[in-house]
Amino acid sequence: MRTLIEARGLTKTFGATPALRGVDLDVSTGESVAVMGPSGSGKTTLLHVLAGITRPDAGTVRLHRGAGVVDLGAAGEKRRSELRRTSFGFVFQQGLLVPELTVLENVALPLLLNGVARTDAAAEALRLLASLGIGETGERRVGELSGGQQQRVAIARAQAVRPAVVFADEPTGALDSVTSGEVMTALLASTVNSGRALIVVTHDEAVAARCGRVLRMRDGMVVAESGAPAPAAAGEQEPVR
Amino acid sequence: MTLVSLVRLFGRRGVGDPATVALPAIAFAVVTLCVTVVAGGVHAFFALPGDQALVYRILSLIALVLLGVPLATLGASAARLAARRRDERLSTLRLLGASTRLVSALTVVEATTVALAGALAGAVASLAALPFGALLRFDGQALGAAIWPPLWAYPGVVAGVMLLAAASAAIGLRRVMLTPLGVRTRTVVPRVRRIRAVIAVLVIAAAAAAMSRLGLFGSIAVVIAVMLGCFAAVLAVLGLVGPLVLRGFARGWLRRARTAGRLLAARSVLDDPKAAWRQVSGVAMVSFVAVFAGVGAAFAEASASGGDPVARTLAADIRSGVLITLIMSFAMVACAVGVNQAAAVLDRRALYVALDRAGMPARVMHAARSRAVLAPLLVVTIGAAVCAAVVVLPLTGIALFLEPLTLLVIAGCLAAGIGLVWAGLLATRPVLAGVLAAGLVEV
Repeated sequence: MRTLIEARGLTKTFGATPALRGVDLDVSTGESVAVMGPSGSGKTTLLHVLAGITRPDAGTVRLHRGAGVVDLGAAGEKRRSELRRTSFGFVFQQGLLVPELTVLENVALPLLLNGVARTDAAAEALRLLASLGIGETGERRVGELSGGQQQRVAIARAQAVRPAVVFADEPTGALDSVTSGEVMTALLASTVNSGRALIVVTHDEAVAARCGRVLRMRDGMVVAESGAPAPAAAGEQEPVR
Repeated sequence: MTLVSLVRLFGRRGVGDPATVALPAIAFAVVTLCVTVVAGGVHAFFALPGDQALVYRILSLIALVLLGVPLATLGASAARLAARRRDERLSTLRLLGASTRLVSALTVVEATTVALAGALAGAVASLAALPFGALLRFDGQALGAAIWPPLWAYPGVVAGVMLLAAASAAIGLRRVMLTPLGVRTRTVVPRVRRIRAVIAVLVIAAAAAAMSRLGLFGSIAVVIAVMLGCFAAVLAVLGLVGPLVLRGFARGWLRRARTAGRLLAARSVLDDPKAAWRQVSGVAMVSFVAVFAGVGAAFAEASASGGDPVARTLAADIRSGVLITLIMSFAMVACAVGVNQAAAVLDRRALYVALDRAGMPARVMHAARSRAVLAPLLVVTIGAAVCAAVVVLPLTGIALFLEPLTLLVIAGCLAAGIGLVWAGLLATRPVLAGVLAAGLVEV
């Protein structure tokens, strides 16, 4: 295992509301981390800061990549956007897939944004969909899929650029418990089992229980942490960017 | 919760303001300005004396029919945006127990209020514009004071715009689901049926048959009614085949798309060719008529040069009328595009925020939105112009040779119009920027 994300002293305030107050966190390859806490505790802000969506007011977020270390807090908007496009994957609560695109095109979209040729992007997208057991849905529209299938497509999209870290914000929030379990299995299999890190923001204890570590937040601080960094599960590891 | 509290909650500012408030208001102002000026023009043409008076009246009515399409599109777009920008508060009101009927009524009232503000601004703007219109020369004389519509026209136009806004908002709400869980546009996309092409051919054949037998209709009033009817029918038919044509083009764009922006744009048009067509249909009709009438005017000017001064004046006047109609149509389409795009951004704000978080540059989102509008616009503008040129092919060639300036001016106006629509798209950039910025503030 090697460190992927190293966050120190993260502080963020929105107006008069402190969202993060001196949060430290290390995340390594093959790790899964659940971030829990009541609404307004700062968990989504933490995810945004770690992913370079939002800059912290104070503190540092270092991303260790094969080519070196990047300080996300110091990087400009364009650079952070590029990093999100090339080094991170995202899964949101509602899937948030582009409704007019086919399933295959949705998964291929991040690759096209990175300049991959359309035929190559389509082939990779098809491989990812097949690995998640939904290869037959490629030509269908997002609206024709069930909630669970849509989240699998979102997971496939998040894997497309072979990211170092996948961030998931309430990925099972809109699903029933059975489908939620299936989606978590798919999410863990496609990240942790492939040597990637997974950071999940969730309210669901069952989801958190599937992760190697659980951080509990309140008032912008990590107030409890359970579980030790787990080694990557056995299996073929894909290269991470 | 009292009705007053509900109304107060409804009146609070939301994400996307002030652009989302200003855009429909500006759109309604432009509608009022255009209607008032056109009404003034028609009023002036009907006041023209002389032998050619009837011709001018017919031409002014044709311009009125042509401007009606973009005008209706713009009004409907403004009303839809006025309804959609309320989404969170509409949902909250539903959660608080307000009925769909009450929420719908508040939305209609709000759209009508925005329309009133815009219409009053447009009426005031027309007071500044009409003196310039009075300088326009038709039939050898300036339109002068005749361009001022009668006083009753002002409250009439303002009331008409408010009525249009109320009706459009009510109809537009049928396409929007008001539930406690949020406001969403109904996503059932109407299918484009090939039977439309068959109907189009039949209507065009019937119109051609009627036009070739005008002599059989006896009275001049019936002849004019038949001509205007045929004209309107052919325009309506364009609306039937337009989406089919755009769908065909979009399939080609999709096959050739190599970038994310082009893929998104092609799919956007293909997803709802009717909506893509509606947005630019006004230009298609005007472009067709502009070239058709422009060639006619150029040919008439060339034929009449040094000869019949009445024919020469009429030809020059047709050219002026075409240019004025063209500019007004493009202005309305540009406004409608701006308003539609602002509404689309607000409707898909969660998706845009998600794509931004996943690293899609805002310029790619802009590029996709722009291409999804400008590509169909180019197709319909150039396509309609080429169709018109082909219909009168021998005359086009002669006109181009004898009076190239007339056709060049019309081509320049078409190009400037496309630029105007592009400017309308640019005006919606702050709305997307606001949505992306607002999406970052989540604890």
